[in-house]
Amino acid sequence: MERFLRIDMTGKTAAFEPVPDRYKGRAGRWLTSSIIHDEVPPDCHPLGPRNKLVFSPGIVAGTTAPTSSRISVGGKSPLTGTIKESNAGTGWGRRLARLGIRAIIVEGEPSGGPLWLIRVGADGVKFEPADPWVGKRLSEVYADLYKRYGDKDRIDICAIGVAGEHRMAAAGICFSDQEGRPSRYSGRGGLGAVMGSKGIKAIVLDDTNAPGVTLADKDLFDTGRKKLTEALTSHDITKPKGALNTYGTAVLVNIINEAGALPTRNFREGRFEGAERIAGEAIFAGNKERTGEELYNHACSPGCIIGCSNTWHRPDGSEHTSCIEYESDWALGANCGIDDLDRIAEMNLLCNEYGLDTIEIGGAIAVAMDGGLIPFGDGAGAIKLIHEIGEATPLGRILGAGALTTGKAFGVERVPHVKGQNMPAYEPRAIKGIGMTYAVSTMGADHTSGYTIAPEILGVSGKLDPLNPDKAEVARNFQYATAFLDSTGHCLFIAFAILDIASGFEGVIEECNGVLGTDWKLDDAARIGKEIIDIERDFNRRAGFTELDDRLPEFMTREKLPPHDAVWDIPAEEIDEVLG
Amino acid sequence: MIEVRLYGRLRRFAPKGDPAGRSIIALPHREGDTVQAVVERIGIPEGELGSNLFVSGRYAVLETPVEDGDRIGLFPNDMSLLYKWYFEPKGSK
Repeated sequence: MERFLRIDMTGKTAAFEPVPDRYKGRAGRWLTSSIIHDEVPPDCHPLGPRNKLVFSPGIVAGTTAPTSSRISVGGKSPLTGTIKESNAGTGWGRRLARLGIRAIIVEGEPSGGPLWLIRVGADGVKFEPADPWVGKRLSEVYADLYKRYGDKDRIDICAIGVAGEHRMAAAGICFSDQEGRPSRYSGRGGLGAVMGSKGIKAIVLDDTNAPGVTLADKDLFDTGRKKLTEALTSHDITKPKGALNTYGTAVLVNIINEAGALPTRNFREGRFEGAERIAGEAIFAGNKERTGEELYNHACSPGCIIGCSNTWHRPDGSEHTSCIEYESDWALGANCGIDDLDRIAEMNLLCNEYGLDTIEIGGAIAVAMDGGLIPFGDGAGAIKLIHEIGEATPLGRILGAGALTTGKAFGVERVPHVKGQNMPAYEPRAIKGIGMTYAVSTMGADHTSGYTIAPEILGVSGKLDPLNPDKAEVARNFQYATAFLDSTGHCLFIAFAILDIASGFEGVIEECNGVLGTDWKLDDAARIGKEIIDIERDFNRRAGFTELDDRLPEFMTREKLPPHDAVWDIPAEEIDEVLG
Repeated sequence: MIEVRLYGRLRRFAPKGDPAGRSIIALPHREGDTVQAVVERIGIPEGELGSNLFVSGRYAVLETPVEDGDRIGLFPNDMSLLYKWYFEPKGSK
C-alpha cells in the first residue's frame, strides 16, 4: 500500500497518510508539481514556512525496469521564484519506492536551532540532531553516515552541503551514487537552500524489510521492460561501450563546439579553442594514460544499463572526482575559458563537497570574470572562488546566490539567464530551438525541460518535416514529452534510444501500465505531459509570472555570436505561441 | 582548401589521431564538392557516419555543398547525440 510521508519540521513530527484518490498513478515530476501546486501558496517566500519540499520516485522506480531510479524533488525555487522540479539518478529514489512511500512532503519550519538528520526505514522515522555533520565536506559526512547507519548496500543518503546550510540560491540537494559518493545532484534552482530552510541536513533511507513495488500486471510490465532494454542495448548511443558509456555526457563538448554553439567565456563566443582538451574523448584518453586501462563509465544508480557516469583520475592514477558531466565540464571549463581537466575536476569536486549546482556556479564565476574579478582562463583563481563559497565569505555568498545576483554585484549586463537561472551549455543564438525551450520552460533556462523526443512518436501533432521544423510546435512537444518522462522514473537519456526505436517507447508505456494497472496508449504521454506543464504554468502565473518573463536576455538580441555571427531574433509572438 | 575535423573512431583517417587534440585533414577544394564527395576522397565508409555532420558549424547532410574555405566536422554514428530537429541542415531544400 503506497503512502505519503508528511514531515512537519515545526514540531518535528512524521505521519504516514494514504495517497489521495486524485493523485493515484501520479509520481515523479507529475506528483511533485501537483502537490506544490495544490499545497504551496504561489506568493510564499521560497525560504519561508509556507514553502514545501517534495520528494517522489518515478512510476517505475524500484522495479527491474532499466535506467529507472530517478527521484524528483519539487518546491518553489529561491533562485527563480517559479515552481521547480529537479531530478537525480540515485539508489535513494529506488529505496524510497521500495519503502512504499510515493512522496515525502516536508513542511513547516523549525524555530531556529540545530539542523536535523532524518532516518526513514520500514521500521519508522527517526529525528536526530545533525550537529556532528554541520559545516563538513559532504565526502566526510557521507563516510560518517555509512559507518553509523549501514553500508552502501543497505542505505542511500540525501544531504545538503554548507551551501544549503547557508541557504544559497545555487545550493543543490546531493544524493549518493552506487559507490556511496556524494555525487548525484538535484542541482538546479536552489532546492538545497529550501532543504536548509526546513532545518534538514540529511535524509537517510534504509529499505531493509521494505515491501517493494507491487506490479498490477507483471507480464505486461516484463514485456515493456524487455522492449526498452532491447532498445537501449542496441542503440549506438546508449549501448554498452557506446558513446555515453565510453565518453560520458561530455562527448557533447566536441559536437556542440563543432556546431558553433558551445558558450565560451560567458556566452561571448560559440567556439572554444580548448574544447578538444576538455571533451569526453580527452577524459577517456587521459584516464587510460593515467590508470593504464580503458575505463568505461559506470551506472550512477542501480539498474541503469546506459552507464554514462565517469570518473577523472590524477596523474598518479587515483580517483579525483566523479562525475564530470557535459554541463559541469562546460560550465567550469569553456564558459570560464578554462581548458585544463585537472582544474575542472577540482572545481567539480569542490561543488560536490560544498553542495553546489555546477551550472549555476560556473555561470556565476564566468559573470564575475566578465566583471573583472579575475581573468577568463584563471583556473587557480576560480578554484579559490569556490572555496570562498564553501567558507561562506561575503564574496562567496554573492557567487553562491547565482549568476544574476553576481551580475548585479559586478555591474555586468551580460548575464545569460531566463527567470534568474543561468543557461546551460547550448547557445540559443546558434540553436534557436533550445532558445525556445529556455524561454518557455516553467523553471527558467533549462536544457532538460525539452530535450529530445520526436513529435511524431508521441502522435500529438502529425508528422513534421524534419528539415523545416516549426520551432514552436517542436518546442511544445518536447516540453510535454520531457515532463512525462520525468514522471516515469526513467532517465531522460532513454530518449536517444526510444526516439529511433519505436518499440522502446511502447515498452515505456507498457511498463507504466504494468505497474499502475492503467490502460495508457502512446498518445497519453503527451496528454499527461501537457497536464504537468499546465499545472506548473498555473503556479507560475499565480506567483506573478507573465509572458514577459518568457524572454531571453536583451544582450543576445544585440551581440553577434561568433562563428555564426547570429543574434537571438525569434519574435516574441512566436515564443508566446509555444505554450500560449 | 577545405579543413576536415574528425572525431571518435574517424580520427584514424587523419595524420594525427590524438583523441585529446585536433585530428585535421586539409584537402584542396574541387568544383561541385559535397560532404559526400569529401568523405569519399578521405575514404571513410559511409556506414561509419551518423547524423552529426557539420559544414562551417551548420548542421549538414551528405548532399550539402562544400565551398572553398569551409570547415567540415564529422562524427561517427555512435556519437550522433545532437538531435536533428533543432536544425535546418545547410543545403537542404
